Amino acid sequence: MGEDIFSSVINTVKIVIIFLFMVHMVPLLVWVERRASAFMQNRFGPNRVGPFGLTQLLADLVKFIFKEDFASSKTNKFYFYLAPVLAIIPVALAFGSLPLSSPIYIDSFQLFGYSLGPYLFEIRSFPMDVGIIFVFGVSSLAVYSLLLAGWSSGSKFSLLGALRASAQAISYELALSLSLLGVLILFNTFSFDQIIEMQNQSLNFQFFSKEIKINFLPNWGIFYQPLGALLLFVALFAEANRLPFDLPEAEAELVAGYHTEYGGIKIIIFYMGEYGHMLVASSLMVILYFGGYNLYPLLNEEILQSWLLPNFSLTATSLLTSLILFLCFFLKVLFFLWVFIWVRWTLPRFRYDQLMDLGWKTLLPWSLFNAIATAVVIWLVNWGNA
Amino acid sequence: MTPFLFYTLSFLALYGALNTIFRKNPITCAMHLALTMVALAGLFFNIGAYFIAGVQLVVYAGAVMVLFVMVVMLFDNKQTSETKDNKHMAVKVFISVFMLGILSGVIPHSTGFTNKIVAPEVTPTKSLATLLFSDYVLFFEWIGVLLMIVAVGVVLLSRSEDS
Amino acid sequence: MITLAHITLHHHIYLGLVLFFIGLFGVFYRKNILVVLMCIELMLNAVNLILIATSQYYADLNGQITAFFVMTIASAEAGVGLALAVQAYKRFKTIDTQLFNRFRG
Repeated sequence: MGEDIFSSVINTVKIVIIFLFMVHMVPLLVWVERRASAFMQNRFGPNRVGPFGLTQLLADLVKFIFKEDFASSKTNKFYFYLAPVLAIIPVALAFGSLPLSSPIYIDSFQLFGYSLGPYLFEIRSFPMDVGIIFVFGVSSLAVYSLLLAGWSSGSKFSLLGALRASAQAISYELALSLSLLGVLILFNTFSFDQIIEMQNQSLNFQFFSKEIKINFLPNWGIFYQPLGALLLFVALFAEANRLPFDLPEAEAELVAGYHTEYGGIKIIIFYMGEYGHMLVASSLMVILYFGGYNLYPLLNEEILQSWLLPNFSLTATSLLTSLILFLCFFLKVLFFLWVFIWVRWTLPRFRYDQLMDLGWKTLLPWSLFNAIATAVVIWLVNWGNA
Repeated sequence: MTPFLFYTLSFLALYGALNTIFRKNPITCAMHLALTMVALAGLFFNIGAYFIAGVQLVVYAGAVMVLFVMVVMLFDNKQTSETKDNKHMAVKVFISVFMLGILSGVIPHSTGFTNKIVAPEVTPTKSLATLLFSDYVLFFEWIGVLLMIVAVGVVLLSRSEDS
Repeated sequence: MITLAHITLHHHIYLGLVLFFIGLFGVFYRKNILVVLMCIELMLNAVNLILIATSQYYADLNGQITAFFVMTIASAEAGVGLALAVQAYKRFKTIDTQLFNRFRG
């Protein structure tokens, strides 16, 4: 937790704040989704309650909370209530291990006569050396919530939705991890911090013992791995069960899939899981391919410190830097969240065989090709200097 | 590594394991086995084998157990009722407990397998990979061949006969 | 010397042993093929725990590589076992291990 009471308190508060941040993104995203879909379909969307209908979600929430906590007589009660909880735990764990901003340095100071510090706080719930493996490990646990929700409801539609969902999740997990291989070979590490640090410089690479450097571009993964980024993004769509991959809840065939029998506060928790999954997916895209919280030629820790340090103390500089970089990260993540919503209201749903074909016959071979090609190219390019 | 974490995780693992073998409903068994596997992954994290812990989560808890749960759900619950067979129960208990007792009794006295009390360091994933792709590269290739054979075999097995 | 306050290698080995024999007893005791397969997975997991703990405490990575291979084989075994169970259920409408009494060579 920390070496003394102050750092323990700060770390605990940090964990709570990061979790609450994730949870509070949900109403915002739902609002964006409803407004965006309305504009795309030439409707108004929620616009009566509050400015731009912003407080519509509050009204919805009140309605959901005061609904009867209903479970039909055929349900297996324990798993029925466990499933929503299992939906949110993996997402919260995965989001907690992502670095959201530069670490905060707090200089030594006096408090109630004790001298404390200096401290260094990372903006993430817990540091993890094998970041990517941990994130995929915990997010692969999210399937249990779908399976249990479908099975415990005691309804055929729910069970079919759950079986579809788990088959889909297992199929796309392969493409997901294989499309990551390229970026892992490139950066040669599992740690998010090192990946972000390596992207925080101008685009440079070795080309047959010739150093090539492009000063106005950052060293982002997307310039080396455009195919890998595309494949990863598609696979993340499928993992998040979003349209066009929302076969598990295809309402024309399955009512609402695995959460047909759910209502009230339980369905809100499922929504939190789904939007949390989107948030984790967007953050992963930003961290692996778009430089994380840095925006290299314009904005990074050193540049901000060189601006702020003459005017502020060390602690204040660090706090401001962290805040600005967090906003930068957040804007990038918002862009990807917008793509998620945009695609949902643009593309129609796949048929089930098309979905499986896409996963096994398109994404899997292409991601294998991407990994092998990356390895071969890196081996060839480093021919002389090994 | 803190004793508190070790005891919590091993309690969870034992609780899950006992429920796996004594509960009636196969779904309950599978969920408790998943609990055991997650607890073991926590233990691996705790002793610093980060990579293996992640693989344990992805492969066991995320894929194998999901497959089990899926297959159990496909069966009709009423038709999977078990016959009760309490013949030779004394022998079964005796074999399990007796072998456990012998092995537990032998371990503290074994030479060449002495106890270590120094808390282990975190294994760097890089050295694991270096070992895997140098000394064990042939085994690695053969594992790939084995998985291929298994994939083909499972597809053949699970095809229905009339098609 | 085993003490409760300080965690050593032997703690992990005892935990692994107990888990292994719980799994072994489960294989004897249960009659449902699926649960028997689960018990086998449990035994493999227990062996993995011992392998990894020993490898970590002795700072020798060979144990972890072995555990890695065990995991791969275990997943293959689960796949084949489940496919066989599904086929057996389709043909005999039961997945009780008493089913094997009907097999005559």
